[in-house]
Amino acid sequence: MATSMQTAPSKDVLDAFAKELDDIREDTMAKVGQKDADYIRKVIRVQRIMDLGGRLMIVLGFLHPIWWVFGVLSLGFAKILDNMEIGHNVMHGQYDWMNDPNINSRNFDWDNAGDSNSWKRYHNHEHHTYTNIIGKDRDFGYGLLRLSDDIRWKPKHIPQFFTYMLLAILFEFGVAYHEVAGERIFMGKRRKVSHLPISREQLKNDFFSKIGRQFFKDYIFWPLLCFPVFLQVLAGNFVANLIRNLWTNTIIFCGHFTEDIHTFKASECENESQGQWYYRQILGSSNLEGSRLFHILTGHLSCQVEHHLYPDVPALHYPAMARKVQKVCEKYGVPYNTGGFWKQYFTVAKRILTYSFPTKKSAMA
Amino acid sequence: MTSMTHSQVTRPSKWLAIGQWIVGSVTNQRTLAGYLEPLIQMVKPKWRSDRIRSHILTVRQETSDMYSLVIRPGSAFKPFQAGQYLELTVEKDGVWVSRFFSISSSPKYFQQTGLIEISIRIQDGGRITPWLPTALRAGSIVNLSQAQGEFVLPSHASEHLVMIAGGSGITPFRSMLQQLSLNQDRYNGQVTLLYYARSETHFLFQQELTNYARENQWLSVEFIDSEKEGFVSEDHLNHYLPQLANSPENVNAMICGPSPMILSARDLLRESHLAPSQIHYEFFGPEPTEHQTLGAANVLFKQAGKQIEVGETDQQTLLDLAESHSLKPVSGCRMGVCHQCICQKQSGVVLNTKTGEYSDTGHEEIQLCISRPVGDVVLEL
Repeated sequence: MATSMQTAPSKDVLDAFAKELDDIREDTMAKVGQKDADYIRKVIRVQRIMDLGGRLMIVLGFLHPIWWVFGVLSLGFAKILDNMEIGHNVMHGQYDWMNDPNINSRNFDWDNAGDSNSWKRYHNHEHHTYTNIIGKDRDFGYGLLRLSDDIRWKPKHIPQFFTYMLLAILFEFGVAYHEVAGERIFMGKRRKVSHLPISREQLKNDFFSKIGRQFFKDYIFWPLLCFPVFLQVLAGNFVANLIRNLWTNTIIFCGHFTEDIHTFKASECENESQGQWYYRQILGSSNLEGSRLFHILTGHLSCQVEHHLYPDVPALHYPAMARKVQKVCEKYGVPYNTGGFWKQYFTVAKRILTYSFPTKKSAMA
Repeated sequence: MTSMTHSQVTRPSKWLAIGQWIVGSVTNQRTLAGYLEPLIQMVKPKWRSDRIRSHILTVRQETSDMYSLVIRPGSAFKPFQAGQYLELTVEKDGVWVSRFFSISSSPKYFQQTGLIEISIRIQDGGRITPWLPTALRAGSIVNLSQAQGEFVLPSHASEHLVMIAGGSGITPFRSMLQQLSLNQDRYNGQVTLLYYARSETHFLFQQELTNYARENQWLSVEFIDSEKEGFVSEDHLNHYLPQLANSPENVNAMICGPSPMILSARDLLRESHLAPSQIHYEFFGPEPTEHQTLGAANVLFKQAGKQIEVGETDQQTLLDLAESHSLKPVSGCRMGVCHQCICQKQSGVVLNTKTGEYSDTGHEEIQLCISRPVGDVVLEL
């Protein structure tokens, strides 16, 4: 629903609110050190083993198909770990303090068709700064889906559930194309103002280059290396990518498109105080409850609220911070959106369907 | 001769480039070793693909504020020249921290024992040097770079070689003198070491150096208490180096110590008619600027969206500036050698405090830790 910042708590209240949230952050950051470095290295080790092990098992499929199945699941799991718990968090700079040349936001490249630099620009900068501000946060609908009343309904929205399913299947290409679409590289009218720090030529090159390298890896290199079982490996890699696409898309959609998510107008968010920014981040995000393994599998995006409040805090601390943040929100009467996976995802599907059709402005959902 | 330079970049051959592209595509990492690093760390903790994993043998207290680390470098460590330095990297609270230290033992000693020594002075209020002797012990793992540096014995023995050492600046000279002594080479010329330290108890390797002087005719060593007699002055030169007055063209001088000492010694030697090519020194860190005429400046950190005004008398480097405003750029040695803090400058002029040169006004990569803004600067950070 659209939220008027005028119905938000007063600035003074939000200042106190901000102070308490800042304290949670400071308490957590004071603890960050060797344990976090050890943790991220352990996760990367697991990823490597599942990746290489998975690829090996896919090849062993010639012995018995069950090997192929386990291989695909293992490789899919490795890709999910790489993209979410490792990639997303490392590229946010959560581990830059380690001074490790391979685990920092400047150098990290993920196993995904999307170019890392492009993603960092539109995600770290655009999405996290302008979260849920309609017109500025292009993550809200990705320029494809109508997910709130802020966009006028058009007949082209009717089949948008199918568009959504296609996006889910091809999600890594959606990630790759997002900035290119925003900059109108291939189609659409060029924006007058662009904050792109590189040339359009460079952006295009980076876009194709990354897709090319990923294609080479999964559909040329590994299949050829295992030549006798070329097709088996190719198919296995394809399905592993598909698994990653579906999972990441689902989790990401649960972060900002559940019921009770709020959107905002750009005009109301100018010169935001820290408290107001925190308020918007909380109202624009939603959490998923789950086990520790579930949290890791989602790259801790299950704690979307905490991630939006503290994007550069190492993500493994989010569940503990969530308990504290929830208490603070209760104290100040700020709504906190969380729920079990199926419940939350159901509301996401409902939203996509609801806004496929014309909605009355008064009927908010 | 001036301060350290890094090796020139050679153009990779076409095949190497193709190989790198394949590795990059298949592993999503820049090197295969980098990709395997976390796996190798399972059996070799703290292993780094870009460093040489080594073990500490002993931590030896030398004076009240100096200690030596005796290290067995990993097998990839190449032979070095006396006077060179290396980068020591250790993990502290999950962070890789690095510092540069001269190798205080000789290549001959390394050849004989497979060990090297580095001697470290505890910096007041330092982050690392006070902590290292508490954290390291026999068996501790450290990472080393290959030896580097050009502060080595001149290739042609000159008639007279003067070594001027201040405090911990003795370390490269001890390496050189140990090398000459162990090698039993008769040095073709005279060597005089003027070793300045704060007090009698602050001289490192005093016995060892005295022995070298006793065993070798060509060497004389003077231990000078700088509290009592001050740092190198004209009187000292007249007293200890009469040759300087007679035939300065046959003299080569090497200086190592605190920056102010190097600057004043260098000036003094120039006055004694030594040509710049005869004076060799090495700064550990950015060279202090002597002329401070930098006006007020605005520095824009573009990606972080932060603009900072720098006052006229502000001496902060861009790295200090960024950090004091809650930005966290990657950093390493903090002295302009390791390039970890490399950042793209979009526009503006910066002063490179290491080379004393002003940059060009356009796009270029700069090292934040040794760059100070001159006028408005825009950084891609």
